Amino acid sequence: MENVKENENINITPSAPVEEPAPKKNNNARKKELIKRWVINLLPIAALGILFAVYMILLIVNDYKISMSLTAFINQAIIIAFVATGAIFIFTLGSFDISLGASTLFSATIGVIVYISTGSVFAMFIVCILVAVACSLLNSVIAAVFHLPMFVTTVAMLSVLTAVASNIIQTEGSATGTSYAISVPYAMRAGLEAFNSPILKLIVLAVFALICVFVFEFTKIGRKQKFLGGNPICAKMSGISVSIFGIIAFVMAGIGVGLGAGMTIVYAPSVSTTTAGSIGMSVFIAIVFGGMPISGGARSRIYAALVGGTSYILLQNILNILLQSMGGARDGWVQLISAITFLAVVFVTGMNYRTKNLPR
Amino acid sequence: MTELPAPQNYNVKFTYSATLDSNEAAKTQTENWIAQNYHAVIDMANLDRIGIADLCNKNSVYYVVASGVMTEVDWNVAKDYKYFLGQVGPNDDAEYNAGLAMGQYYKDTKNVKKVGIYGAFVPNPMHVNRLAGLITGLGGTYDGATGAAIAGKITQSVDSTKINIPGITVSYFDGFNPETTFGQFGAIAASQPDAFLSVGMATTFFAGSLNDANIEYADIDSFTADNYGHMNDGKLGYLAGKYASSVGPVWALIQSAANGTPIRDNGKAVSVLQNFAVAKTAAECNAFTEAEGPVWNKTVLDQIISTNEKNVSLASFKTLVENDGKTA
Repeated sequence: MENVKENENINITPSAPVEEPAPKKNNNARKKELIKRWVINLLPIAALGILFAVYMILLIVNDYKISMSLTAFINQAIIIAFVATGAIFIFTLGSFDISLGASTLFSATIGVIVYISTGSVFAMFIVCILVAVACSLLNSVIAAVFHLPMFVTTVAMLSVLTAVASNIIQTEGSATGTSYAISVPYAMRAGLEAFNSPILKLIVLAVFALICVFVFEFTKIGRKQKFLGGNPICAKMSGISVSIFGIIAFVMAGIGVGLGAGMTIVYAPSVSTTTAGSIGMSVFIAIVFGGMPISGGARSRIYAALVGGTSYILLQNILNILLQSMGGARDGWVQLISAITFLAVVFVTGMNYRTKNLPR
Repeated sequence: MTELPAPQNYNVKFTYSATLDSNEAAKTQTENWIAQNYHAVIDMANLDRIGIADLCNKNSVYYVVASGVMTEVDWNVAKDYKYFLGQVGPNDDAEYNAGLAMGQYYKDTKNVKKVGIYGAFVPNPMHVNRLAGLITGLGGTYDGATGAAIAGKITQSVDSTKINIPGITVSYFDGFNPETTFGQFGAIAASQPDAFLSVGMATTFFAGSLNDANIEYADIDSFTADNYGHMNDGKLGYLAGKYASSVGPVWALIQSAANGTPIRDNGKAVSVLQNFAVAKTAAECNAFTEAEGPVWNKTVLDQIISTNEKNVSLASFKTLVENDGKTA
C-alpha cells in the first residue's frame, strides 16, 4: 500500500502528468494484436479450405472423375503428411532434417525386400518403422556424441543412406526406365492392394496424428520441446536435456518416415533409386505452408504438417489443371508459382513472429 | 505435361507427360489421366508396365506399349486384359541384332582398331541387348560369354575390364550424370578413337562435340531431321532407327478399339515386331526422315484401323507393320 501511495504521489506532481486514456489505448492495441494473430493463425486453415473449394470447382467444371481425382490427390499427399507430421517434432526444436527423403528411401528398400521374402504386410510396416527409427536415432546419437548440430549429421546421413539404398536396389532389383527398382512381383501384389485404400490410409494417418497431438500438446515432452526450440539457452539452464529431447524428436520423426515408407510400397508397389527423392523439400514446404515458424518453438503445431502438406499438393494440382487448360509447355510454371506462393506464405506467417514479446 | 495441337487427320487430343523417373510417378500420372477422362495411355517409359496395364484395365482405359516390349512374365499376365490392346516394337532379338549389325559394320567394313563405346542406360534391357550385339559384332566377348549370352552377364552393370575384343582397343562408359558423364566422354574423345559407337542417346548428348572433334559416330535412334543433319553435315556415320511416325500402328490399335472393333489375337492383346532400318549415308537417312510426310500417314493408317464397315485382320495388321507401312 505504501508503494501505491508513493506512486500516486508521484503521479500527481505537475512534472509527471498522468494520461488517463493510456490503459485503454494499450488494451485496444493488445486486442488488435490478438485479433491479427488469431487471423494469421487461421490463415493456413482458411487457405486450405479455399484451395479445396477451388480444386473441387475445377474438377466439376472440367468434368473430371471426382473419385479418381481425390484418390490420386490422397495418394500424392499422404506420404508427405506422414513424414511431415513426425518431422514436426524436429522442426519444433529449431532443427532441420535434410535426410528425411533418404531415410524414407532406405526404409522402403528394406521394407520391400522383407515383403517379397515374407509376403507379410505387417512385417513390412514393422521393419520400415524400425529401420527409420534406427536411422533417426543414429542421426541424433551422432549429434549428441560428437556435439554436432543435428542438421549437420543429417547432411551426412543423406549421402550415406542414399548410397546404401541405391546399392541395394542395384544389386537386388532390375532396370526400370532410366534407373533401377525392386518391384513386388505381380503375384504378390494382391496382399498390398488390400491396404491401398484411401480410406484406410486416412484412418492410419488420423491415428498417427492423434498420437502425435497427444505427445505434443498433452505431455511434458511437447512442452519441453517447444521450450527448447523457443529458447534453448534458457531451457538448458532449466535442466532440460537437448540430447534426450532431440532423440525423442528423431524417434517420432522416424515413426512418420517408416509409415511413409510403408505407404510408398503399398502404392507403387516398388522402390526405385529415385523414390522419395523430393520428400525432404516437400516436407519443409508443407510445414511452412501449414503456418509453422521455421525456427520452431512455442508456436509449433502438429496440424501444420497436415494442413500444409494437403495445401501444397492441392496448390500443385490446381496449377496443373489451370495451366493444362491453357495448353502449351507448363512444367516450369508450377514450380515457379509454388515458389512465389511459398515466399508469400513465409512473409505473411512471419508477421506473427515479428514481435518483441515472447510468445504466450 | 505438354499438350500438342490436335492432329488434322483424326479428332483426337494427345497429351505428353513430363519425364517420369519412377514407378510412383508413372502411376500418379496415369491416375491423373484416368481422372481427366483420357481414353488411352501410350506407354513409352518402361516403368512398371504391368502395374500401369492393371490400373488402366480396372478403369476401362486403353493401354498400349509403344517402346520396346513387356517382359515375358508381365506379358503373360497382361495379354488377357480387355483394355490392354498390345505392343508394337522391337523385341530383345531385334535390339540385339541392331547392335550386332553396327558392330559387324565397323569391324568388317570400317576396320576400326580403337573405339569408344557408350552403353546408354544399361541395365535397361533394350540397351543391354544392343550392347551385347555390338560387342559380338565387333568380334568380342564379355566375361567369357559370347553372343546373346552376354546380355545375361550384364543385367546390373558393365565392368569394362571384362570386355575383350581382340585387335580393338575399347573405352567404355554408360549412364548419364551431368557431373561426370561429359568428363568421361571428353577423356574418350581426347584419345581420338576411330569411331564412337553408341547403343542409344549419343545423338542427343554428344553429337555436337563429336562433330566438332571430327570423330565418326554411330547410334541407334530415330530418323529425325536433326539426325539427317548430323549425317549430312556432321560425323554421324551409321544410324539404326525407326521412323519418327512409327508410333502410328499403336494408334491404329487404339482407334480400332475406340471404334468398337478392336484388333485382337484370339481374344488377347497383339504383339507385333517392329524392326530397325539402317542408314549409312545422308541420302539413305534422308529417305527415312519422312521429309515428304510421315510414312505412317492417314492413308496408310486407315488400312489398319478397323471399323464396323471394314474388319482388319490381325494378319493384315502384322504384315503392314512389319513392312513399315509398305504394302507388298
